[in-house]
Amino acid sequence: MSDQGATMKRRDYWSMDQSEVCKALGTSKDGLSEQEAQNRLDIYGYNELPREAFSGIRIFLRQFNNPIFVILAAAAIVAGFFAEVNQSIAIVTMIGLSVTLGFFNEYRAEKTVQDLRRNVSVKAVVTRSGKVSDVDARLVVPGDLVSLYAGDIVPADMRILEVKDMHLDESTLTGESFPVEKSASPLTLERATPQQLTNYLFMGTVVAHGTGKGLVISTGKNTEFGSISKTLARPHPETEFQIGIRKYGNLLVTLTLFLAVGIFGLNWLVGHPIVDSFLFSLAIAIGLVPELMPAIVTITLSQGAKNMAASRVVVKRLVSIEDFGNMDVLCTDKTGTMTEGNVALDSYRSLDDIDEPKVLCYALLCNSAVVGERIIGNPMDSAIWRHAIDNGEKDLVNPYVVLDVIPFDYERRMMSVVAEKNGDMILISKGAPESVLVRCSRREVRGESEPIAPVLESVKERVSDYSKAGYRVLAIAYRSVEKRTSYSIDEETDLTLLGFLTFTDPPKKDARQAIDKLKEMGVSSKILTGDNELVSVKVCQDIDVPVKRVVTGADLMTMNSNEIRVAVEEATIFARITPEQKLEIIKALKGNGHIVGFMGDGVNDAPALYEADVGISVDSAVDVSKDAADIVLLEKNLLVVSKGIEEGRRIFGNTIKYILMGTSSNFGNMFSAAFASVFLPFLPMLPMQILFMNLLYDVANFTLPTDNVDEEYTQRPKRWDIDFVKKYTLFFGPFSSLYDFLTYGIMLFVFAAPPALFRSGWFVESFWTEVLVIFVIRTRRIPFFTSRPGKWLTALTISCVVFGTIVPFTPLGSFLGFTPLPGEYWILLALMVATYLLLVDAGKVFFFKICKF
Amino acid sequence: MPYPELFTWWAATITWSIVFLTLISIYLYIDSAKRRKQAGQKGQGAGKLVRDFAFVWVLLGLLLLYIVTIDQNSATMFAVGNIVVEILLLIYLWMNKSQTSG
Repeated sequence: MSDQGATMKRRDYWSMDQSEVCKALGTSKDGLSEQEAQNRLDIYGYNELPREAFSGIRIFLRQFNNPIFVILAAAAIVAGFFAEVNQSIAIVTMIGLSVTLGFFNEYRAEKTVQDLRRNVSVKAVVTRSGKVSDVDARLVVPGDLVSLYAGDIVPADMRILEVKDMHLDESTLTGESFPVEKSASPLTLERATPQQLTNYLFMGTVVAHGTGKGLVISTGKNTEFGSISKTLARPHPETEFQIGIRKYGNLLVTLTLFLAVGIFGLNWLVGHPIVDSFLFSLAIAIGLVPELMPAIVTITLSQGAKNMAASRVVVKRLVSIEDFGNMDVLCTDKTGTMTEGNVALDSYRSLDDIDEPKVLCYALLCNSAVVGERIIGNPMDSAIWRHAIDNGEKDLVNPYVVLDVIPFDYERRMMSVVAEKNGDMILISKGAPESVLVRCSRREVRGESEPIAPVLESVKERVSDYSKAGYRVLAIAYRSVEKRTSYSIDEETDLTLLGFLTFTDPPKKDARQAIDKLKEMGVSSKILTGDNELVSVKVCQDIDVPVKRVVTGADLMTMNSNEIRVAVEEATIFARITPEQKLEIIKALKGNGHIVGFMGDGVNDAPALYEADVGISVDSAVDVSKDAADIVLLEKNLLVVSKGIEEGRRIFGNTIKYILMGTSSNFGNMFSAAFASVFLPFLPMLPMQILFMNLLYDVANFTLPTDNVDEEYTQRPKRWDIDFVKKYTLFFGPFSSLYDFLTYGIMLFVFAAPPALFRSGWFVESFWTEVLVIFVIRTRRIPFFTSRPGKWLTALTISCVVFGTIVPFTPLGSFLGFTPLPGEYWILLALMVATYLLLVDAGKVFFFKICKF
Repeated sequence: MPYPELFTWWAATITWSIVFLTLISIYLYIDSAKRRKQAGQKGQGAGKLVRDFAFVWVLLGLLLLYIVTIDQNSATMFAVGNIVVEILLLIYLWMNKSQTSG
């Protein structure tokens, strides 16, 4: 395949009528044949945008886009220029090793994420050889006939053939915030902008409401979206985790800058050579900057994403994992979480309470499901068809021809069709009982039509009884209409109520267990549903979930912002709410300081999914919901969510360990080196020795993402607390400095060490304390006895310690300026390091007693 | 003693690092007490205070040990002192193990 996605020959499809378009695209109203579709796929390629491809070279080059690299390169040049050849070679080697390490780890991490994303695919409803089926949107080719429904993301550029009240949200393409009405009529335009092409559908836009069919004219990068996709990417707001990392980075950069400039100035003032002072202060700066943090965070997140995939949770946006773990409120809909999500038609009652085939027949006619090899559509419409097929009643609709459809929308909460039977035109409406009832003036009982007013209250009571019993209810009504070319919602008036459809969706057996599990984990669950409050309460009662307060959409409309902020804390069920109110609830919860997760799968859920700190959708959701979500569940189940939360907390825990490591021992070491450089007659460590230690320390940290996290750490949500990190640094940093100073004393006064021996002694001590302290810091428990570190972390840390220990005895050590250490030193070192680790552990008891995190 | 001119400087830095740690501990303790008070919780008794600061007492003991042993240039005294302190710290940690697991 030569070209990734393509257009047929470029033509003015907008000016053609339907048959001309079909002819031009070599297709018909039955669509392409499967064989022709495959041929075109071979010619035009996959329908996908040339997103930033997974490229090893790009990842490799990215390693150089790092201030540390610039500093190191500058240091190498300065050292080389002043004939410090060894230093220069050492620094260049460090650069090579750092780049290689970073490359291999990031390559592996990105590969994992890319493989995971393939699990979430967007589907398109395509007609081929007259058969309707779901196909992966990547396989859509020019000439394909595609049906679209509310909530669908348009999979390619299309010329519309049929349309019914179709409005498109084209904001991603044109910036237009209001949905644009579409038509199938040819346009007489010489040249056209996307805004003028009302008979076109553009890839990436969203069907706001209505339905339609179109022929694909362009795919992949040849679509309008493809040509400008790089400029259209909507940035996600920063997650709380990203904000925390940024603040931490700023703190360190400020500290490093002051320290590096101060060290350089002081060293120069006390008479150290200017080049040595410069290289030394650079090395200290490099030692302080957690240059590995981006790599550690990426590896930790991708490792977590891989683990989460095993629990059938696909992470679309890596940085959302931490917020997923830390969320303390989960807003979810009812279907599929509290209930099984298997909606079944239970009855189709007339008003004298018997199953009436006419009610079922009208419900089949007034129905948005597409019946092909599979039934595609919303759960209730699909359930009606499934019932009719299973019970041999689908032929009820045979005498009728549906001429027009007035699609469903969330404001009316109903849809209508106009059907013809033997020349009689009838408008049939189906929808939420309260929406249909207000449009009814009559009712039909045993074939007779009577005014509804005298019995309206008892009819409403009956609806209420259905709801209290846990049934979801739809009302069916009709009226005669004149024959016309099209109909609108204005016709939905003066209807005759025919009956009700009741649906069951059994409560989920493990819902209570899942809610309890989330509660144990410090996550409170709230149900946000479009269903009425009676059904919602009944479902909660059935699964034994306590309901504190129920707030309806109508209640919310009467509340001011303060009252809403109180209501969102107290209520567990929000019923009969609109998509805007879902958004309002999430904003209020966020305003109250919560990290909010929202789980939804409908077209109306997309804004809330985007607004929530963590948007969770399911693989069976409409495209726009999956697109807006950060996390996609392959199975709609709250227990799966709890597993994901646990993993998120584990990842957050391991990231925090790295940060706390860096701020304690590493920081302390660099601080003591800087301090000593001013008073000692020689540099306490050569710049290349500091860089070598830094590199070895980085290697030791690479398995941190695989470490075990204590059970109690995953029991409650955590928040980024920069104040805590500052206190931690202030408290634990000096422990490391204290033992560095002690080593200085031993080297100077016990061993009368010349510079090379002094540096070797301090290198080993500094490295031991810096690396081994991870076993103390990684847990609040007693290390090894009550909390076991991960096996890879233990193995790599010990290996690094052994390597660092033998380095002074090797040719590499000689090259770096080290010298072998006397036997007595090792005894003193072992005792010192043991005391240090125990002292830090004792400090930990004190610190966590008074500083909660 | 080798590098005699550096001993005073060295003793000052190691003393300062322990004093700094002690001051930070006091600051964190006062900060925590303030927050407890704001949350309406009871203050802590003097006995509890002494126990909470156990590791600070160890630190001060270590300061004495390190300065004396280095000054005396006695590796044996240094080793024995460290072992004693390690035993004390292990006892302290074992006694506080419930507080480190949650």
